[in-house]
Amino acid sequence: MDTYTLYAGQFLPFKEHFNPKGHNACKGCGVALAVRQVYKALEGSGAHIDNAHWQIPWQESVIVKSGAIAAGTQPALLTIAKKDGALYICFDNESTEGKVEADILLKKLPAMASASGCDYAATACPSHPFDLIEKIKKAWSCAGSAFVHILCPCPVGWGFEAENTVKVGRRAVESLVFPLYEIAQGYYKITCEETKPQAVAVYLKAQNRFAGWSAKKTAALQEQASENLAHLKSKAQ
Amino acid sequence: MISKTFKQEKVGCQLLEAGHAQPYAPGTKPQMGPVWDKSLCVRCALCYIYCPDAAISRQEDGYFDADIKLCKGCGICHRECWFGAVSMQEVE
Repeated sequence: MDTYTLYAGQFLPFKEHFNPKGHNACKGCGVALAVRQVYKALEGSGAHIDNAHWQIPWQESVIVKSGAIAAGTQPALLTIAKKDGALYICFDNESTEGKVEADILLKKLPAMASASGCDYAATACPSHPFDLIEKIKKAWSCAGSAFVHILCPCPVGWGFEAENTVKVGRRAVESLVFPLYEIAQGYYKITCEETKPQAVAVYLKAQNRFAGWSAKKTAALQEQASENLAHLKSKAQ
Repeated sequence: MISKTFKQEKVGCQLLEAGHAQPYAPGTKPQMGPVWDKSLCVRCALCYIYCPDAAISRQEDGYFDADIKLCKGCGICHRECWFGAVSMQEVE
């Protein structure tokens, strides 16, 4: 008999491990939202999430050349020790020094992680919470090291209203700028296939940081994004 | 020693304390807070999943409510509720 997974919020654990007395992130913070969902996914799995690195002040890491991942007061890379290897979770809010270019938006960190020996690598976004929770659970239960790249919309850095954090994340997935896929031992799988992908311009228009972008740049980004998806689909077969 | 206090500083000031992510209550209440309409709520827990501040908790009857001390008034729950049960109103 087949087993089915029921995706409903009522079945999530209701105990709060993530800073139950409040934290000092900005309002509508995507990183805080992603960290909270990661905590929900890892509850009951035996991970020492209470001692995770969120408690350490100013753990800041900036990777400028490979796509500019930076976080202010939040950790950019959370490492949780596993039985074999480690679980690396990258909280990416795309804050850069200077202009945002297309190669920053379209980075391929899971492919790099998979090539360098991770058994499981995936992308996730807090706008798709059950997808994120499933991926973290898979990453935790796989044999070797695992890597999950989470796109966290940042209302302050990207320039949109705080209430649109989840909406902008969903737009990023729908417009194929940030496709959700996983690589398990070299096998690709697209976990969230968009039947009606939106134009990239819809995603860019919602944010102030692309106010200076020309139509030519947008068209180039659109072309690159659809090329990326075609590449992913050819890998997934 | 890091003091766990919430302060309002002037624009352009120098920050002498190091920032930290240790838990502490934000201190001031938000301008607008979420209010649930129980006749429209279907208890789907979407607002609970999407809250970045962990302010929303489930009550004994299955409905949801926000702790206004933790809420920062971002409005994600209002935005993401499919049934329009959450409205942002001024906090007393």
